[in-house]
Amino acid sequence: MGGSRLRIRNEFLASLVFLAIVALLPVWVISPYWRGLLVVSMYFALLAVAWNLLAGYAGQFSLAPTAFAMIGAYTTGLLAHHYGLSPLIGIPAAIVVSGVVGMGLGRVVFRLRGPYLALTTLSFAEILRHVVRNAHEITRGEFGLRVPALFDSHLAYFYVFLGLLLAVQVGLYLMLRSPAGLYLQAIRDDETAAASRGVNVVFWKTTAFAVSGAICGIAGALYVHFSEIASPQIGHIFETGLVLASVVIGGMGTMIGPVVGAFLVEIASEQFRAIGVNHMLLFAFMVIVVVRFFREGLWGLVMLALGRRLAGPRRRARPAQAGGS
Amino acid sequence: MLTLEAIVLGLIMGIFYGLMAFGLTLIFGILKVVYFAHGESFMIGAFAYSLLALWLGVPLWLAIPSAIVVGGVIAVVVERLLIRPLYEKFGDWQAMRDEYAIIVTFGLSLFLVNLANQIFGPYPFRGPELTDVARFELGPMIVGGHRLVAGAVGVVVLVAAYLFIQHSFWGKQIRAVAQNRFGASIAGIDTRMVSMMVFALAGGLAALSGALLAPLFHASPDVGVLPALKSFVIVVLGGMGSPIGSLLGGLILGVLESLGALYISYTYRDTFAFVILIMVLLLRPQGLFGERAREV
Repeated sequence: MGGSRLRIRNEFLASLVFLAIVALLPVWVISPYWRGLLVVSMYFALLAVAWNLLAGYAGQFSLAPTAFAMIGAYTTGLLAHHYGLSPLIGIPAAIVVSGVVGMGLGRVVFRLRGPYLALTTLSFAEILRHVVRNAHEITRGEFGLRVPALFDSHLAYFYVFLGLLLAVQVGLYLMLRSPAGLYLQAIRDDETAAASRGVNVVFWKTTAFAVSGAICGIAGALYVHFSEIASPQIGHIFETGLVLASVVIGGMGTMIGPVVGAFLVEIASEQFRAIGVNHMLLFAFMVIVVVRFFREGLWGLVMLALGRRLAGPRRRARPAQAGGS
Repeated sequence: MLTLEAIVLGLIMGIFYGLMAFGLTLIFGILKVVYFAHGESFMIGAFAYSLLALWLGVPLWLAIPSAIVVGGVIAVVVERLLIRPLYEKFGDWQAMRDEYAIIVTFGLSLFLVNLANQIFGPYPFRGPELTDVARFELGPMIVGGHRLVAGAVGVVVLVAAYLFIQHSFWGKQIRAVAQNRFGASIAGIDTRMVSMMVFALAGGLAALSGALLAPLFHASPDVGVLPALKSFVIVVLGGMGSPIGSLLGGLILGVLESLGALYISYTYRDTFAFVILIMVLLLRPQGLFGERAREV
C-alpha cells in the first residue's frame, strides 16, 4: 500500500509543478486567443480529472462526463435566462444539481458493470442532449442560451479556472490518500473481493459518481459564463471523446496524466484546426495506439524514461483465466 | 388506420434494426465485451453503396453485395488488429478487457467517423432507390416502394443468417465458442477463425443495413451513431448473445418507436430507445429472451 501512496504523491507533486508553470504562462502569453485557449484547456482538464476519478480510480466507465457539464451549464444558464439570477447563485446551484444528478445516476447504475454501465450512461447522456436540443421553449435548442459574463478579462477567468483545478487536485489527492482512495481502487480491481472485505461498494460508487458529476457541473457552469453561450454541443459525444482522449493519452489512473493530457489535446486541436487537419481523427488514432500498445499513456512513458519501474495498481496481478465467461 | 400504417412502417424499420443488432449480439456472444464501432459498419455500407452506384455507375444488384463485402472486410481487419488481443493475451489483459474494449472501440468509432469526414466531407449522399415504383398500395395502406423492396431483401438475408447460425456447421461452431471459448478450442474448433467469421458476418450485415437505408437516411459520416446505439438497445432488450432475441427486439423497437412518434411525440422519437434501454437494464437485466445472469 505504501507504494501506491508514494506513487500518488509523486504524481500529485508533478501536477503541482505543471500547474505552477501554467500559472506563470500569462506573463508571456498575452493574446486573448491564447489565453482563451488555456481557459478551455483547463475546462477540459477539469472534466478529464473528474472522469479519471470515475474510470481510472473507481473503474466505473461512465460515458456521461460532458452530460454533467451540460447539466451544470444549463442550471446556471436557465436560472440567469429565465429568472435573472446572478452567477453567484447559478454556479453553486449548478454544483448542487449536477452532484445530486450524479448521485442519482450512481444509485441507479450501481449494479451494472462493464459494458452495461457504459451503455446506460451513454444513453443517459444522449437522452439529455436530445431533450435539451428539442425543448425549444425552455432551452432555445441548438440556438443556445445567452449567458451573462462573469468577468471582463480572460485573465480573471484564467485564474479562476486555475484555482478551481488546483482545489480539485488537492481535494482529490486528500481523498485518494485517505481510506476512500483505497476503497475506490479496491472496487475497481475486484468488486466482489472488495465487498467481501467490508467495503461499502454501493456507497463509494455513488459517492464517486456524485463527486465526479459535481466537478463536471462546476466546470460546465464556469465554462458557459466564459463563452457566454450554453448550447447542446457541450454534451456532444465528440466532446466525451476528447475527454476520454485526454485521459488515455495523458495516462489513466494517474493524478497528472489527465491534466497534462487535456492541455496537450486542446492546444494540439487548435493547431491542427488551423492547418486544416481533422483533429478528432488524430486523437482517435492516438487513443487506439496508446491503449493498444502502451497502456500507461504519456506519464507511463515519462516514468519509463526515468527508469522507474511502474509499480502500482495499474499492473494488476490476477491469475490468468482461461476460457470465456 | 394510421395505427396500422405506423405498425407496418415500424416493422419494416425493425428489419433494418434487426440486421444491425444480429451482428452485434454475435460479437457480444463470442467476446462478452461491448463493441462501439458497429455503427461505422453501417456508415461504411451506406457510403459504399451510394458511391459505387452514383460515382462508378455500378448496377444496384451488384452495389448491394459489394457494400456487404466492403463492410465485412473492414470488420475483419479491425478484428485482426484491435480485437484479437482481447482473447489471445492473458493475465493483465484479461483483468481489464472491459476497459480495453470500451476505450479502443469507442476510439475506433470516432476514428472512422472522422476518417469518412476527411475523405468524403460532411455532406450527405443520397443513395439511389432500389425500385422506380414510388409507392405500393397494400390494401388501404401506402408504403414507399424502396422501403418495401429493401425490407424484403432484409428479411431474406436475416432469415438466411439465422438459419446459418442455427443449422450450418460454421454456425454451430460460432455458438460453441459463445458458450465456452476454452471448451470449444479443446474440441478442435479454430476460435480465431470463428472470431473473424463473426466479425465478417456482423460487419457485412450492418453494411447491408446501411446500404438499404442509404436512400432514406442519406450517407453521412455520423449516420451510424444513432443506429448503433439503437442496436445496443435491441441487444439488451433481446438478451445479449441471443440471435432470435435480436430479431424480435428489432421488430419490437421499430414498432414502439413508430407508435411513439405517432402518439407521444415526434420530436422525441429518438429518445424512446434510450428510455427503453434504461428501463430494461433496471427492471429485467437479462433481457426479454436472455437467460444468462448479467454478471461479467
